[in-house]
Amino acid sequence: MAFDPRREDYQRLALRYALSLPKGNPVAAAKAFTDFGRRFARDRDTLPQSDADRAFHLVAVAAEVIDYQLPFSSEERADALINRGRDLLDEAISLDPKCHDAIRMRASRVSPSFDAQFSFLHEGADEVLASCQEARDAVPNDGDDERIALGRDIALRPYRRWMAALAEEALICGRNRSCIEAGERLLEQDPSDQADVRFTLALAYAKLEDEASLDALAKRYGTIIPARPADDAWMGIARLALAHKSHDMGQTRQLLERLIAAYPGCASALITQTELPDGVFARLAVPPYSEDELILAVSEATVLLQEGDDKSGRGVLGSWVARTTAKLYPEALAEAQEFSAPYYQQDEKGPQDGDAS
Amino acid sequence: MNGREELVLRCAQRRREKIGTLSDEGFAELCLAVRENPSAFVDSPEQASFATLVGALDAFHRAGADDDLLDDEEFRAARERRLQTLSAACDQALSQDGGCLDARLVQVLAADLDPDDRLDALLEIEAKADAANELTLGSTGDAWDDVFTRPRLRLWDAIARTCLAGGRYHMALDVSRGLMAASPKDQVGGRLTAALALARLEDEEGFNELDARLAGRENSWLNLGRTILLYKLGRMNAARRALRGYGELCEGAAYALLRPTFVEIYLPDRPEVPAGGFEEATFAVHEAEPIIADVPDFIAWADGFPWFHAAGEAYAEEHGYDW
Repeated sequence: MAFDPRREDYQRLALRYALSLPKGNPVAAAKAFTDFGRRFARDRDTLPQSDADRAFHLVAVAAEVIDYQLPFSSEERADALINRGRDLLDEAISLDPKCHDAIRMRASRVSPSFDAQFSFLHEGADEVLASCQEARDAVPNDGDDERIALGRDIALRPYRRWMAALAEEALICGRNRSCIEAGERLLEQDPSDQADVRFTLALAYAKLEDEASLDALAKRYGTIIPARPADDAWMGIARLALAHKSHDMGQTRQLLERLIAAYPGCASALITQTELPDGVFARLAVPPYSEDELILAVSEATVLLQEGDDKSGRGVLGSWVARTTAKLYPEALAEAQEFSAPYYQQDEKGPQDGDAS
Repeated sequence: MNGREELVLRCAQRRREKIGTLSDEGFAELCLAVRENPSAFVDSPEQASFATLVGALDAFHRAGADDDLLDDEEFRAARERRLQTLSAACDQALSQDGGCLDARLVQVLAADLDPDDRLDALLEIEAKADAANELTLGSTGDAWDDVFTRPRLRLWDAIARTCLAGGRYHMALDVSRGLMAASPKDQVGGRLTAALALARLEDEEGFNELDARLAGRENSWLNLGRTILLYKLGRMNAARRALRGYGELCEGAAYALLRPTFVEIYLPDRPEVPAGGFEEATFAVHEAEPIIADVPDFIAWADGFPWFHAAGEAYAEEHGYDW
């Protein structure tokens, strides 16, 4: 399950609202909750909330702006969105100096390099854990086990996002052991793997050509909530990379076909291999086995695909995957070509010269 | 590969076998005689084929001596022609003796294939060579000492480097280790490929083991590999010291890393260069390039040390290179 900022925002306020309800009067509580939905949507400032709740709301809006709007915006609008995202995060931090999500997201926008962001996350990890644990321990006990559990869980999520981002950043930096250390630490803290950090781990184990650890990771899918078999695109690409690395090309081809079968109709993503910016809040929330999920996995697997000294510039594995997919699935190639043709080639008029036209 | 010298050794060795018993002194004298006039001793298709290859390699390098004067496009075209000529010469060598492993190797390398295709082609040569004759360590315990098994070592070396270029680091390591086992002297340099593979795999234990085995025989591959390894492991102070070690070992090492230049394909093996010279650093950086590219902020980190940056700039200025 990926993190959904809107949903989490709702959950936070709902929990706090529940605390304010009269005890022992279910009818009044039910009525009040109907009221909550309306007020959350239209008039959230009238709802009881802490500064941390207000800050998280701004984080949720910033996540929407930066992760879901910015990548699809026109160039003219991009600057406005970037500024808006920054302002939202600044305000969140001024409301709640311990808003680790906002702190982390702001850093990812201003860090001058991957390494700088990696160091920032690495150095902050212990403090964030302590702070989140403190928040967890401060969750009020109103006698409702389910609510307490959710409150405690929400308190720890910023730490989980922090560690997942650390693992991802380490992978990008080529620091695979650090990636594994962060990822394993998170997985130990949260065996249900809310952050889906196992996806990042799968790529890191493939980078280190550590098949035994990849197998062990696949076995741990049993504790994932909600349950999911180890046939996601990250695992699929990791296994395929291992087969390619040991030069078992028959096996590599089989694994490619298996991957494509797990994502029917999405093979063109393996040809285009689009590189997307990573979500600054968290990995984008997309449906399992959707084309979007495959696109995300391929993008994150750039570290595996683009490696090696290949003249195409796509990397040795990347060009093998694109070439082989195109050969196996000509319709995917046609789709990929249509998608990747520059806009002026899609237009019948062709390119126009100069400003005068 | 010192082709001329190997041709001499090959001719002398075959002559010795014909003569029957020959003392070591007698053999040394025979070598001198062959060196005077090798062609007089080329008396079999085997040696004729090798001589053709050696001549073709010399011609290839001679023809490229003035490449510096060409612009990019002209250079590309001239190089293409030279590689084709070389490949045709390999055909000729192979028509003289189909078993000339070096000619097959050079021909595959000269085709300038991408790593996947190159590996397939090299493994095919290896499979056929394996069927033809088994590699033995010989009487000295080092396969290098038999001039006729050297092509096999060069083939393995090319396979290991192709694995490294293709992102197959464990495989590169396995082949390099096989190479070092077959030839503990390691003239072809399996340890160099191994050092880079271990750095990429962040295998500190393996790297230290290799380092200990080389017992202080520092070189650019080892020093660069150590720097990358420590950097990847996040041991930044140690990495900084390793970078200093890399920078100080070879002339122009900082320049080689910060301003990498085009390096011709190894035909068929890593050219012999003086230890501690600029070329050593250039070759090490060239071979490490895919690994360096995998650590996106590594170069900026190295460049960020004023002493390293200044060393690169000073070398460029001293030699009239662009900076």
